[in-house]
Amino acid sequence: MIFLEWLFLTIALCDAAEPWQLGFQDAATPMMQGIIDLHHDIFFFLILILVFVLWMLVRALWHFHYKKNPIPLRIVHGTTIEIIWTIFPSIILMFIAIPSFALLYSMDEVVVDPAITIKAIGHQWYWTYEYSDYNSSDEQSLTFDSYMIPEDDLELGQLRLLEVDNRVVVPAKSHLRMIVTSADVLHSWAVPSLGVKCDAVPGRLNQTSILVQREGVYYGQCSEICGTNHA
Amino acid sequence: MAAHRIAHVAYTGPSIIKEIFYGMTLGLLAGGVWKTHHWNEQRKTKAFYDLLEKGEISVVVAEE
Repeated sequence: MIFLEWLFLTIALCDAAEPWQLGFQDAATPMMQGIIDLHHDIFFFLILILVFVLWMLVRALWHFHYKKNPIPLRIVHGTTIEIIWTIFPSIILMFIAIPSFALLYSMDEVVVDPAITIKAIGHQWYWTYEYSDYNSSDEQSLTFDSYMIPEDDLELGQLRLLEVDNRVVVPAKSHLRMIVTSADVLHSWAVPSLGVKCDAVPGRLNQTSILVQREGVYYGQCSEICGTNHA
Repeated sequence: MAAHRIAHVAYTGPSIIKEIFYGMTLGLLAGGVWKTHHWNEQRKTKAFYDLLEKGEISVVVAEE
């Protein structure tokens, strides 16, 4: 079991990409945890089918090697096996579809009363964030731009292509609503640890809900090609 | 010489049912290993959040 534990390396709390990373970043929202669980469910069937097909292939090559079996069979029909190899994959697909649709529809559920609504506006090549909930009628919303820190300006320990000058600060353990749009071309606001990706379309407001379960710093990159300085 | 009396085993070919059975067994075993890893990871995640909730661990660095 120790070998197997080593094989499936445990990664310490990981909210940004790590060198040679194989799996997902650690989940910080129930949505991302759902995505990871769905992936694990599907991967079980993937391994089952892979091992089975590889076994059948290797055994067929072994048994029907031209030296061992010089005269090939001329079977053209096998009704029973054809029924089996149609029904069995359909059953597997059904087992995959059930948790998949459950997660998909849960993602579409709109949070009726979020603690805060934050707007993210995509530009070439920075994001503008607006917090409008808690200003009085004649006050301007809290608005700021968030630029990526260029590689030459990074300090020791900072992450390349991920750090920004002004981070979006959001409350933990509270439902928040992100409204994402763009001021120019298509962008996409994505944070892998939070399991969120929302396209920023000019002239359109897209909405996504997030519930961050633990405090931390989470990183993401623009996920829709938007020009020369994309991501 | 009694070579003509030696019975030769005729090669009857593989049994498709047996091969399917062996393949499915191996597949389920491999899938079971993966499931064990998945359950282990779920247990660790749950333990992490339980400890976080109880206040025994923290993800916030104490300010000096």
